Amino acid sequence: MDSEFSPLASPAPQGRAQRREFLKRLAVVASSSALLADLPWWTPLRAEPVGNSPADRVRLGLIGAGTRGSFLLANLLQTPGVEIAALCDDYPPHLEAALAKVKGARGFSDHRQMLDMPDLDGVLIAVPLFLHAPICLDAFAAGKHVFCEKSLAYSIAECQAIADAHRGSGKVFQIGHQRMFSPVFLRALQLVRDGRIGPITQMRAYWHRNGNWRNPVPASGPDPSPFPSLERRLNWRLYLDYSRGLMTELASHHIQVANWFLDAHPVSCAGYGSINYWKDGREVYDNVNVVYRYANGTQVVYDSLISNRFYGMEVQIMGPEGTIEAETGKIFSENPPPAPGIVQLINGIEHGFFSAVPIGGPSWVPELKKDTKGSYLVQDQSTDDGTAISMAAFANSIRANKPIPGMMEQACRSGVSVLMGHNAMEQQQEIAWPEGFRE
Amino acid sequence: MKDIIIPGRRIARELWVLAGCFAAAVCVNVYAILRFHTAWKELITTLHITLAVAAVFYAVLALVRALVFGLMRVFRGKVA
Repeated sequence: MDSEFSPLASPAPQGRAQRREFLKRLAVVASSSALLADLPWWTPLRAEPVGNSPADRVRLGLIGAGTRGSFLLANLLQTPGVEIAALCDDYPPHLEAALAKVKGARGFSDHRQMLDMPDLDGVLIAVPLFLHAPICLDAFAAGKHVFCEKSLAYSIAECQAIADAHRGSGKVFQIGHQRMFSPVFLRALQLVRDGRIGPITQMRAYWHRNGNWRNPVPASGPDPSPFPSLERRLNWRLYLDYSRGLMTELASHHIQVANWFLDAHPVSCAGYGSINYWKDGREVYDNVNVVYRYANGTQVVYDSLISNRFYGMEVQIMGPEGTIEAETGKIFSENPPPAPGIVQLINGIEHGFFSAVPIGGPSWVPELKKDTKGSYLVQDQSTDDGTAISMAAFANSIRANKPIPGMMEQACRSGVSVLMGHNAMEQQQEIAWPEGFRE
Repeated sequence: MKDIIIPGRRIARELWVLAGCFAAAVCVNVYAILRFHTAWKELITTLHITLAVAAVFYAVLALVRALVFGLMRVFRGKVA
C-alpha cells in the first residue's frame, strides 16, 4: 500500500476516544492526499476533529431501526460528537430494541412527530425502499439534514423529487453507499487513475447468495399497518409494492461503484430476470442479469442470484494491463513479473515428470482463469468498509452546515441506474437514461 | 547410554561435502538465470531456495553414500 493511504489501513477503532484519534489521522490524509482532494464527499473529513463541547454536538434521529438501522446505530454510537436524540420505528419490537441501546433518546412511531423536534439537526433514514422518498421529502421540508440508505428511491420520478427538494434546501444529504468511503475502493480508484490497469475496458460485478432472502415472521405480532400483513412488513424486499428486489437492495452498491469509477451514468441498459428457484409467492426476481452501456463504449455486466453462492460477490474492474477485484481487495497484472529462474527450473522439472500431455497437442493451452495470486490493495483486510467513516463525514457536514458536494449526483446516478435495470427486465427492452433528469 | 564420538576429520569432511552441495546448488541457480534470462540479483534474492536445493542434494548424496557403504560392508563380509 502506498504511504499516502497508510493511515487508513487500519480498522476503524471501537470506542469514541480511539475513533477520535482515527478521525484526526483521517483529517490529515484527507487534506494532503491528491486523490482525496478530487473526491468532493471527502471534504467534510478534512475538518478539525470534533471536541467535547456541547456546541460541537450533532443531534441526530434514526428513522427505521431494523437490521440496517441497527447497524447504523451501532456506528453512530461510536462516532465522536454525535448524540442520538430520537429513534423512530412503527414496528414496536424494533423500536424497543433500539431504545434499549440509547439512553435518553425519545421514541416515536411516526416520523413526522420526530421531525417536529426543533433541536434535531438531522435524520438517518433506514426504512423500506418505497418510504425513502416520502420521508426524505418530509425531512427536507422540516429543515433537517438527511442521510438516506440506498437505493435512493422506489421510482425515477421520486429520485428526481428528492434531488429537486435537496437542491433548494441548503441541507446536507448523504446516501448510504459506504464504498465511497472505503479505503480499499479508494486505493482501487487511485490505481485506476494511475493507469495501473490501463483504461477501463469492462466492469463486471456480481452478488450471489444461497438463501430465500426471507426474515422469520412471528405467528402473531403488532398491527402491521401500513402493510397488509406482518409477512409483507418484515419481508418487504420480496414484494414489488415496496422494493425492486435484487437491483435496488444489492446491485445499487456495485452500480454506484461502476458509475463512480467510470465517472459517468449509463446511457442505456438491457437485461433479463426471472423467478426460477424460489417460487414461494415472492414478486421480485430471484436472479437478474443486466448489461449497462456507457457513452465511451464501456459495458458494465451485472448479475445476481440467490440460489448459488459459490462466487459470492465481486466487482471486477478490467483493463488491458490488469484487473482489480475490489471486494477481495486485490489487483492482478496481465503480465506479472516472471518467477525467479530457479523456481521456473524446478517447476519445469516437476511438470516434466508429472504433467499430462495436452489433448490438443503441445501448442494447445486451455484459456482458463489465470492462476496468479495478485497483490492486496491495502495491508489490513479488516479495514472499515466505509460505514464508520461515512458516519463521521455526515456528522462533520452537519456541524459545518455545508452540503456534501457530489453526493446527490452519486445517489441519483446509482438510484436511477438500478431502476433502469429493473424496467429493462420488466419490459424486456433496452431502457435509456431518462432524458432531462437533473442530478 | 553410550557416547557417540565423531572425529574432527569426519566433521570436516561432512562440511566439505555440504559446501560442495551448496556450490552445486549455486551452479544450478546460475544455469537457471542464464536459461530463463532473469536477473543476476536472484543469486542473492533466492538464496533461501539455493539453500533448500543444497539440502536436497546433501540428502540425496547421503542416501547414495549409505547405499555404497552398505554394499561395501556386505562384499567385505563375504570376502572375509
